[in-house]
Amino acid sequence: MRLIARYAKEREGTFEIVTVFESKTQREMISKENPVIRTLAKKHPSAIWFERKMSDDFGIIIEDAFDKRPLVHQERFPKAIHPMQKSFQKNTLDFAEFIPYKYEAIQGDGVFQVSVGPIHAGIIEPGHFHFSQAGEDMLHQEVRHFYKYRAIEKMLEGKTLLEAKPVIERISGNESIAYQTAWRDIVCQAAGTELPLSLRKRHAFLLEMERIIHHLTDLGFIPNDAGFGAALAFASKLSEDARRQLQKVTGHRFGFDAIGFENKVLDISSLHDYLEGLQKDIVFFETWIMDIPSLWDRFDTTGILQKADALKYDTVGVVARASGFPLDRRLEPFYLEHGFEIQTEQSGDVAARFKVRLQEVKNSIVMMQHFLEEDDTHIVTGKINDGDYTAFAESSLGELFMNIEIKEGIIERFFVRDPSFMNWQTLHLMMPNNIIADFPLINKSCDLSYAGNDL
Amino acid sequence: MIQFWNKRVKEGILTENTALDKELEAIKRKIKENVKKKFAGSLAIRMVDSGSCNACEAECNALSNPYYDLERLGIYFVASPRHADVMLLSGLMTFNMTPHVLEAYKQMPEPKWVITLGACPVMEAPFEKTFAVKAPAADHLPVAHHIPGCPPEPLEIIKGILDFLKKI
Ligand code: SF4
Repeated sequence: MRLIARYAKEREGTFEIVTVFESKTQREMISKENPVIRTLAKKHPSAIWFERKMSDDFGIIIEDAFDKRPLVHQERFPKAIHPMQKSFQKNTLDFAEFIPYKYEAIQGDGVFQVSVGPIHAGIIEPGHFHFSQAGEDMLHQEVRHFYKYRAIEKMLEGKTLLEAKPVIERISGNESIAYQTAWRDIVCQAAGTELPLSLRKRHAFLLEMERIIHHLTDLGFIPNDAGFGAALAFASKLSEDARRQLQKVTGHRFGFDAIGFENKVLDISSLHDYLEGLQKDIVFFETWIMDIPSLWDRFDTTGILQKADALKYDTVGVVARASGFPLDRRLEPFYLEHGFEIQTEQSGDVAARFKVRLQEVKNSIVMMQHFLEEDDTHIVTGKINDGDYTAFAESSLGELFMNIEIKEGIIERFFVRDPSFMNWQTLHLMMPNNIIADFPLINKSCDLSYAGNDL
Repeated sequence: MIQFWNKRVKEGILTENTALDKELEAIKRKIKENVKKKFAGSLAIRMVDSGSCNACEAECNALSNPYYDLERLGIYFVASPRHADVMLLSGLMTFNMTPHVLEAYKQMPEPKWVITLGACPVMEAPFEKTFAVKAPAADHLPVAHHIPGCPPEPLEIIKGILDFLKKI
């Protein structure tokens, strides 16, 4: 049974621990006086970050956890403060005394440690990686995040769904449309409104557009990290073209504010022309890149994630699919009717993740052609009813989970689990038997979000 | 590979900059002149993300694509603050990143400048000030120039860099 998320909510006198599995949701009430729960991490290793986060956020104690280190609370964060508790209402914090974080590391003769980050060498988001090395070989890696922690879950409490939208669409710039789509589903549920097919198609078109931009960027950067810059030059031109198309359609290069309840009239024929051109370019790219042996020499067998591990760690998205785990939120009638075909590979290495992206771009183009139609539907959503609502979206990174509880018309609890929150926890499994020079390549082939993870 | 060379022989060398308008060409010329005059031909930028949504970084990455190709003007994104003339700072100043940003600034050799990029570091993005944000960036660093936008488009970043160059 796949674990999707685990998080806490504050009630009067109690904390509610919500654990979302694929087929059921469990709720457990614990008293605030003695907020103790047992870990799920023995069965679901990915539960550990959820649980460490709960400890930091609410002060909940995970009795039998093997890892009790802080997660969101970094070295200078006042450890006694649990900011998701309703009683914490301050909007400033002073730096506390520095308490060093103890990295997971392998000890032994000739083993040494390499630290990188939080500021990385390129134009890239901040995070920290800690490697245990024997010569060039990586023995272990610990991923450490939450440098970008902006307290978005707290920030959105007390707002209406409408007021929260501009923040939600900026949680992760690469997944803005996916976040907006999940938000849209929650608005529809709360208003008891059925989304008309035409709006659904338009939004699905935009979501695929976001996916191809992200994938095209990666299709350039992955070979670039293997020393083949020509691919970056080619693919970055295609992703720039795609971004300009997104701007033409939505008025914004990242589609901020693109998902709403009205459709603009589009220049359908020019979009069809564009898609046809892209299809040709991507076929050319594929023929070219598949034929460069030195590149595949770097991709093949590098950074393997075995299928059993992909399952055990509850991975999602491209990472899961490249390890032979056919998980995709688009596996449903609406998408299947519009040409969706799930893309999987078996080898779980950089090569597999690259190929999945390439095939997904081609499949997205087909779907986009089906989604495009002349339409200017407008709907009024109506009154937002109180309740506890959940939505999913398949972002370019994988399954996105959003839960919003509304009480008296405003957000009582906002919770989001970005796909990368699951996949970051799997990254260390891809390191053994690889050399450190392959780390950027492996990392890029997963291309996970830091902003969406840290919130 | 063969296909590539066939195409190349047939079509010759094509530049991808055909879509660029005159305006950008003129800006680029001025940037090159200014970089030559004020930075001996090469301006090194250390990009630091202190809590962005990553769209600002994506636009900076786009500056290297064949349409904008900023490196041709002598502007480089460098890997270490010790090699940098300018820190380009994006994102909200988060509580967790602030010490690291200040450390990176300290590592930069004099003379040095900070340019803020996008609505986040000046607290104009829709994010609110929380305990997790030490805003705005100008409270912590001497900011020489600001490039507005959410995110600023590549052309706006290029214009912003030119404005900075003219100013100093
Ligand atoms: S300014 Fe806008 S685009 Fe840039 S990081 Fe902030 S929210 Fe993202």
